[in-house]
Amino acid sequence: MSRYELNTTIANLRDLRESDLRDYDAVYLGDIYCRLYEANFLERLGDLKDGLRILRDQGKRPYVTTYAAPRNDFLPKVRKMLEASAAAGAEAVEVHNLGILKIAHEEFPELPVHVGGFANVYTAPGVEVLRGFGAVRFTPNYELSLEEIREVTTECGASMELLVHGKMPLGISDYCFLLEYEEKWGIKCPDLCQKELFVKQGDWAMKSVGKGILSGKDVCMLEHLPRLLAEGHRYFRIETVSESPAYRSEVAAVYHAALERAGGGERELDEGWWETIRRHARIGLCNGFYFGKSGMDYAGIRPDAIGSLSTISRAES
Amino acid sequence: MKTCLSDHAAAPVLLAPAGSPEAVRAALDAGADAVYVGLAGWSRGGARGELDWNELVAAQREVASVGRTLRVALNTIPKPHERAQLFDRIPALLDLGIQEVIVNDIGILAALRRRFPELLLTASIGCGAQTVADVAFFRDLGAHAVVLPGTVSPTEMREIRTVRGISVEIMVHMVEEFILLGKCSMPSYVHLKPSLLPPVFPSEAAGDMPEGALRGLRQTGSIKRGGVGVCFKICQQPWELFADGQRVDARLFPSRQISQIAEVRAYAEAGVDVLKLQGRSLPVNLLASLVRSYREAIDAGAPVGIETRSAALPAAWTVVGR
Repeated sequence: MSRYELNTTIANLRDLRESDLRDYDAVYLGDIYCRLYEANFLERLGDLKDGLRILRDQGKRPYVTTYAAPRNDFLPKVRKMLEASAAAGAEAVEVHNLGILKIAHEEFPELPVHVGGFANVYTAPGVEVLRGFGAVRFTPNYELSLEEIREVTTECGASMELLVHGKMPLGISDYCFLLEYEEKWGIKCPDLCQKELFVKQGDWAMKSVGKGILSGKDVCMLEHLPRLLAEGHRYFRIETVSESPAYRSEVAAVYHAALERAGGGERELDEGWWETIRRHARIGLCNGFYFGKSGMDYAGIRPDAIGSLSTISRAES
Repeated sequence: MKTCLSDHAAAPVLLAPAGSPEAVRAALDAGADAVYVGLAGWSRGGARGELDWNELVAAQREVASVGRTLRVALNTIPKPHERAQLFDRIPALLDLGIQEVIVNDIGILAALRRRFPELLLTASIGCGAQTVADVAFFRDLGAHAVVLPGTVSPTEMREIRTVRGISVEIMVHMVEEFILLGKCSMPSYVHLKPSLLPPVFPSEAAGDMPEGALRGLRQTGSIKRGGVGVCFKICQQPWELFADGQRVDARLFPSRQISQIAEVRAYAEAGVDVLKLQGRSLPVNLLASLVRSYREAIDAGAPVGIETRSAALPAAWTVVGR
């Protein structure tokens, strides 16, 4: 294994095939928000097997993710998906839901479990509970600061996976309000959430993916990678489930290069990296909750990279 | 107070909210089998609708005097130094005769289970349980009960009740917000700031300990961490929708009031143990009417699917906060 792992999420086979993954070490397959998401790996077991094979062939660690807010009627499919994943060589399953964690642990013990951001990992005792159900890696709740994450890791020694770039998940719903626009827009599900959708009020904006809400700004920890490495973190995620293949590959190239440099003890950042990051950040950058502030705050060294809410609207920009 | 709903289903316990001593009294008078309250500084929902220690002591006396039970919500997620403070509260609660505690973090639940085996621990609705597998998880964890949202249907509940060894509660009267409870960070994305943890024991308010040193800080803006102000209800503010760069609409996130009073019998027949009502911030008069209506529905064994009761619910009963 390399000194660190850079991973991302891809929802369907089309996106996987169109993505240049050379700078990633691992990929989670599937969309956690909606069963109806276009060609979701979690619903198409043939595609899932193909996806896992493609990742293996490219030398990537193949992971699968699972639904964050399932109902009873999801569970038979979840079991089939886990069975197919285990048989097809998935190296881990990400769980956001405690019931699915129990199913994975008891029925598919050969699959290592990574705990996702919606599982509400806030405390070291919580990590210990999850370990008892087979979890080996943890994404802390996005609301935790780096200081709070350090408190948890100091207490229990957990391996944490941190979102270092991309739109931060903020919520999940049972209801897709985009369905209300099918007639008005003349677009049917599952094409509705393929549009680039932002909700905006005053000085805040968030991205909608139908049943999911993400941060409008891109979390960016580019200049803080040396600190993350120094604090012992090794698993880093670029969240691209709702992004284009170009975003997925170009942002990964930046972070791969920056991690290599940071791992060598260098702190210098290339100007070209910022240009790439800024070009893909639709409405600017933030640091999430890592520095104990509101999630959309930016505490970095490049205030020019913050961007503007006005860039949501092409007419205004 | 527990009565027989029909020949086939035991009547569920009616669990009412109370955000003040007056509300405790009103809930009891209206027929609640049990009442839940928040302890100041330690419950989801923040300062509104919490009881301080002296109020809690009085409430427990009042509830116990009529043979019913008081449950205490300690369902924020404490930081490490706050965790010790939380655990320090428990012996005092037990001394009062309070055994039933509602928590929101699986680690805290497991730790309390180990340290205080006499506690009856409920996994809060904020834990996000919705499925048969979730309920089995909390049973394995040692929870006495788990709360599910009123969006879970009687049909789903019938499958869920195949899990034995844990009590199942359903929040039959609640607001279904756009984002699922326990899965929302929208308010803190927009605004988050530290606020001083309120005192619980009178000695703390009197300044027997350094201000802020032991009481600690909470993050205002995080629904899961409680604190003053708590949720900014971003989801209830209007916003504009942009699609592919164009402004296409101005609207609100969808939300609705759930009042499953017409399904009381169906839930009972599905095996639900507790019907829980949301609304620690409700005015006393509205709370009393709400509790009385559910009491009557339980006692009458309202026929499945008949919406006579829900149709009669006035709009003012909409829960505006937790």
